[in-house]
Amino acid sequence: MLKYLHNLWKRIMRPKPGLVAFPEIFEHFQDLLQNHQRVMELIADLGEKSGGEYIFDRKYLADTVEEMHTLLLHMVQGLNLITSSRYLDLHPALDRIFVPLESELRGRLSLAGEMPLSVSLAEAPLDRPELTGGKANNLAVIIQNLQLPVPPGFVITTQAYRLFLEYNQLEERIHAGLESWSAGEKDEYQISRQIQYSILAGVVPQEAATEIKRQAEKGGAHWAIRSSAYGEDGELSFAGLHESFLNVPTRGVIQAYKKVLASLYSPEALIYRQKMGMLGEEAAMAVLAQETVPSRVSGLIHTLDISGEECDCLVVYASWGLGRTVAEGRGQVDRFVVERDYPHRLRRQEIAAKQTLVRPQTGGGEEVGEVPPEEREAATLSEGQVCQLARWALTLERYFKRPQEIEWAINQDGQCLILQSRGLLFPKAAAPPTQDICESCGLYPVLLRDTGVVAHAGVGAGVVAQIASDTDMSSFPEGAVLVTKYTAPWLARIVPRAAAIIAERGSAAGHLATIAREFRVPTLVGVEGATEFLKEGMQITVDTKGRIVYDGRVSELLQYELVQSLAFEDAPEFRLLRRLLSRIAPLHLIDPTAPDFTPQGCRSVHDVIRFIHEKAVEELMDLPRLVKRFKGVHIFTLVSDIPLGLKILDLGGGIDPEVAGSRLYPEQIRSAPMQALWEGLSGPGVWSTEAVPVDFKGMMSSLTKTWAETPGAATVSGFNLAVVTDTYMNLHLRLGYHFNLVDARIDPDPQRNHIYFRFVGGVTDLTRRSRRAQLLAKILSQYHFKVDTKGDLVVAKVLHLPREDLENRLRVLGRLIGFTRQLDIQLRSDEDIPEFVEAFFEQNTPA
Amino acid sequence: MKDQLKILVLDDEPIVCKRLKPALEKLGYEVDTFIQSVEAMHQIHQTSYDIVITDLKMKEIDGMRFLEEVKKQRPQTEVIVITGFATMETAKQSFRKGVFDFIAKPFKLSEIQEVVNRAAAKIKGAAA
Repeated sequence: MLKYLHNLWKRIMRPKPGLVAFPEIFEHFQDLLQNHQRVMELIADLGEKSGGEYIFDRKYLADTVEEMHTLLLHMVQGLNLITSSRYLDLHPALDRIFVPLESELRGRLSLAGEMPLSVSLAEAPLDRPELTGGKANNLAVIIQNLQLPVPPGFVITTQAYRLFLEYNQLEERIHAGLESWSAGEKDEYQISRQIQYSILAGVVPQEAATEIKRQAEKGGAHWAIRSSAYGEDGELSFAGLHESFLNVPTRGVIQAYKKVLASLYSPEALIYRQKMGMLGEEAAMAVLAQETVPSRVSGLIHTLDISGEECDCLVVYASWGLGRTVAEGRGQVDRFVVERDYPHRLRRQEIAAKQTLVRPQTGGGEEVGEVPPEEREAATLSEGQVCQLARWALTLERYFKRPQEIEWAINQDGQCLILQSRGLLFPKAAAPPTQDICESCGLYPVLLRDTGVVAHAGVGAGVVAQIASDTDMSSFPEGAVLVTKYTAPWLARIVPRAAAIIAERGSAAGHLATIAREFRVPTLVGVEGATEFLKEGMQITVDTKGRIVYDGRVSELLQYELVQSLAFEDAPEFRLLRRLLSRIAPLHLIDPTAPDFTPQGCRSVHDVIRFIHEKAVEELMDLPRLVKRFKGVHIFTLVSDIPLGLKILDLGGGIDPEVAGSRLYPEQIRSAPMQALWEGLSGPGVWSTEAVPVDFKGMMSSLTKTWAETPGAATVSGFNLAVVTDTYMNLHLRLGYHFNLVDARIDPDPQRNHIYFRFVGGVTDLTRRSRRAQLLAKILSQYHFKVDTKGDLVVAKVLHLPREDLENRLRVLGRLIGFTRQLDIQLRSDEDIPEFVEAFFEQNTPA
Repeated sequence: MKDQLKILVLDDEPIVCKRLKPALEKLGYEVDTFIQSVEAMHQIHQTSYDIVITDLKMKEIDGMRFLEEVKKQRPQTEVIVITGFATMETAKQSFRKGVFDFIAKPFKLSEIQEVVNRAAAKIKGAAA
């Protein structure tokens, strides 16, 4: 009761939101800005870590996510303090994002709601092999990332397996069975029979069965049903331990599914798991269903010659009909030996006399038949087909970072298809001798060393292909090394075809770096002069792990990487990082005026901070409301020739105390940062008001927007606001469609000093806006700003510099704000960027 | 190889060992890795290592005890400590125990390669 009275009293006496002093509100805003910046840094850090240059552990991931969570809670609180609690909906939005992040970190697949029982290969998630199994995960990657042709199929996930066990109360029974086997009470045959019988007698729960039928009815009439156990095609090999059923009619899929599940407990599989020390672990089985290809020709590719005779070649095996002939080593097969190096010459072909073939049996299953006499001595593949298969095989090897064994088929229409790709197991003898790798590399001339920033770690070799404009793209040879001045967005289309990438510009957090990581292409950015040193057509080897570029093809190093070194991309920590990133980094909320720009629309950490930032700024920019809320706050209007519509709010010492009325002249500004910025902004020739001719493309793009004024005029929508003190300035400038924010403090103590600059938006298409962003980044980094860009967003900052240095930089920012107003319209191509950078430096000496 | 230096890496996070081994082998070192401190402890009594790289915070044996033992066994062995930011203060104390250098996790491959090369230069300098 007492407590109740106390609370009631507190509620009555609580100051109304409007009575909170403005400086206090403003402090929250500044905290919010700082936290925003910190979260952006953490996101960039995580992105960089996924490139393989860093060694990190799970603890780092857990710590980073925890720090992000704390910062975001503060930001949500801060925004609600600024806006009188209008955004409490952000709390459930945070939960929606962080609860799954934290269950990922605990390694629990407890996200049952999110995990499908069955999913098509074209839509399967790519970083969840524990859900889809190794085989299906590889196929999903081949379809979605590498975009090679694969027969349609779907996977019945480990989630469905768990449901099956639960529904039939099998967990206990299996566990007890395995215990009695371990204790030596029964042998593996008895145990296997017992468990397999229970599984085969089990019922596939209705919800799983419905899903499986739905998927199967979407596809063709016959299916290959195979195991896709986790780890099966990875470091451990269960090759041949689990059952496969071929040419299964749609109505038989569920029965075949149960048979494949049961094969997880065959005597051989049990013994294997015991030998590998995995018996205690929970075995879970995903099952893959792939449409049967009634193939005319089929076979295998080994990207490494396992006979060990021709280290520089890959081998294609082929026979008529379905694939079993080659896979099971029965009958005679054709053998094609192809050079691994571009242009992948066919070195030799051995055509066998082929007597028998395997073909689908009517009504399901397969049968062995006779090869028609006229085809017995004929080559199964043309040279063109062999070359196409070889190119695909090397693409797969480049991506999976291991020698591959690939099953392929050619259908009745002559179309090549990839059926499977898995790590190739080769006898020790076939592996090239492990000479001292350090010594071998030392024999090759080094072209570049210790230069650039690692965007994705790895080794790749090929001929140099320089790409300077999007017209050169179709001529880019498969498996070449892309060398480029720029990191333009259109390069993304080449990335999957490149063996390695070297760019003169860009950062590890940039767009090209992100794409390179997605396709696992070894990439160095920021390599000055690369296009000069690395000439078109040169054969080079790029080792981004060591930041070395060798002249020639360092085959010892390439072999070492393929055979010895860990493909870090497949390490569980990296998979975890990528899964975390997919809930953290993508920005979906781009347009603040879009209907989903709401707390409910936030799907990632990035969305949340973007939303909070936008709303906090909006609140401060809503001057009439602000004035109403903070009675007694005096706002001045700056009188000047420059049409900025700038209002100034002084929190103490920022303007001449003698000023009377509400009009303020620039010379009456006392705020040190504001003075410096204004000096730059109002300098001669900076605020050019001449109209910029808009070319057709720029015009079309600007017309599609609700464009109130002609692009020539320096338009101001509403008004702009600066909050100042003697040592501080926070300035928001909305100029037409782009938006500048400058937050700066100039204190006698350099430790407290900073400039934070944020620039976003524009009227033209994203490509041109990004060009302006690149231009800003280029210029600002010359003045030693730390710059991050993402699309059309630029965030730059400098810290802890003495007074004069900061004043200089603020003057530059002032001039830059004027200079770049309409540049997106003028930047017609990437080549224009250096020209404008130079134009700027002609008038302004770089630092 | 001729005068190849031997390195032992101990970290209970397997990813650290898996990635350090090839990165250091490529620089011409012979590398053994351990994720169990007990096994590593056993190993340093069997073989002499020129350089030992160890985490500080592990289950079982504490990294600080491990490096003391390394130094006791073979004082000329150079020890490099890798550790999370949280244990950075403890790491600095380890300097007093004759640690060559320490590196905060997460770290770049190039960072650790550089430190190892410096340690190797010191060893070779001392031998000359």
